[in-house]
Amino acid sequence: MNTLKKWIETIRISLNQQTTYRLNFFLQVIGPGLVFFFVKYSLWNTIYSGNSETLIAGMNRAQMINYHSWVFVVALLTQGHASFNLSEDIRMGRISTYLIYPFDFWEFHTAGFLAFQILQIFIAIISCAVLYFSGLLILPTLSQLGFALALCFMVSFFWYFLQYLTGLLAFWLDETWIMRVMLQIVTTFLSGAILPLSIFPYWLSHSLKNSPFPIMVYYPVRAFMGELPFSTAPFLTLLPWMILLFFLNVLVWKKGLRLYTAAGM
Amino acid sequence: MLKQIRHYFSVYIKFIATSSSVALSFRTSFVLLVIMDIFFYLSSLGAVEFIFGHISHIGSWHKSELMFFISFMLLIDNLHMGLVSQNFWQFSFDLRSGMLDFILLRPLHSIFNIFFRNVRPSTILNFGLATYFCIHYGIAAGLTTMSWCLLPLLLLLAIILLVQMEIILCTLTFWLIQGNGINFLRMQMQQIGRWPDFVYEFWTRKFFTFFLPILLIGSAPVKFLLFPQMGKELILMLGAIIITNFIMFRFWKWGLKNYHSASS
Repeated sequence: MNTLKKWIETIRISLNQQTTYRLNFFLQVIGPGLVFFFVKYSLWNTIYSGNSETLIAGMNRAQMINYHSWVFVVALLTQGHASFNLSEDIRMGRISTYLIYPFDFWEFHTAGFLAFQILQIFIAIISCAVLYFSGLLILPTLSQLGFALALCFMVSFFWYFLQYLTGLLAFWLDETWIMRVMLQIVTTFLSGAILPLSIFPYWLSHSLKNSPFPIMVYYPVRAFMGELPFSTAPFLTLLPWMILLFFLNVLVWKKGLRLYTAAGM
Repeated sequence: MLKQIRHYFSVYIKFIATSSSVALSFRTSFVLLVIMDIFFYLSSLGAVEFIFGHISHIGSWHKSELMFFISFMLLIDNLHMGLVSQNFWQFSFDLRSGMLDFILLRPLHSIFNIFFRNVRPSTILNFGLATYFCIHYGIAAGLTTMSWCLLPLLLLLAIILLVQMEIILCTLTFWLIQGNGINFLRMQMQQIGRWPDFVYEFWTRKFFTFFLPILLIGSAPVKFLLFPQMGKELILMLGAIIITNFIMFRFWKWGLKNYHSASS
């Protein structure tokens, strides 16, 4: 019970911290996704101009816009920004305090991640409503929605593990933002956030099949669009990667802590 | 005047030398930055390449023209990332931490001192690759000899316009407590400019051409290089450079007056 209280309190504090500078939060978290969507919307509108029913990789204009609208929502539901604070904590020597707190370093950051997700779910609901009433988004059935949300929930933890790992690299690297940006560039491209994977050449989309990339955006989006049959396959593909990342995080944390000099102590 | 230019040039050489020493002392970061840029170039060009696997044109442009546009923007991005980008992030940090006081005390123009202080040598290392893409797609698009001669000049003008607009935007940080958001806004502005203007609808195009002329950065020079008879936008671009230059200095001065040192 006491542990639960600590978690709730940390989530509450983290929620307050993240919403203190609201303009900054908007520009840093929502703005990039919004502009990304706007650019893609404009581009595909031009590509389909005058011929909305033309099929490109099996999608007409409405389907393509619907796809990119869901990409925006999926990005909100799954992508956190955990590694930034985490690497700063390590670099600035702030983890010394966590080492003596009765609340672990990972617990603190996971609570922060959950707080962030709560905010993102709230923003995603508003975004869905706006996109739906603008006629850009087609809502799925309840069962499809449940399936897609479950997938998003798992992907968000996968992202978190991945970002946690890049954050922990601050034990060795001076600037972990490079890893973060690199990860972002590669996953945005290979996960289908820029283009649906059906547009990719066969050799590339086929070789990505067993990697976690399509599950990060393409599959959840197709699940929201009602085009992905109910199956445990995406969960089972992601699970081993998550287990691997979990143990890698534990290992890197232990190794990194041995190097930690507690700057400023 | 000439003496002053020489003085600023000698200071800039020192800036490059110190930035290089700092960058080379963190070798892993240095190598990762090179790789990161390569990933970015490949994903940008790859996305357009894949789209053209399914269609023959976007708007009135064919693949070779759009690929040249993208590679031109990558070259701008390379120079921008290498020569100025880091300074915008540093500015927001210096402002918050009170470090800006010491920078303002130096006997140099504050804009030069703040926005040209840090250079990223690893990105400059990729200049060759970005130039290769630009030349490769320029040949494919059939640029004339005249266009090749004008390309470096237009590239320079495009960067000047981009940097001036970014400095105007960054000046807003003087009124904000957390300036990182402004940097993200700056990056989103760049993202809009990475596509030709005809991609956007009428009013959006007007807004980003006349009010916030981000679309002039790539579209004006590339259209002129591809179709030399389309010089109207280039004139707009020159006008935008003059106007943003005036606004930048005025706004910066105003921002400085509003600056309340964080350390005092």
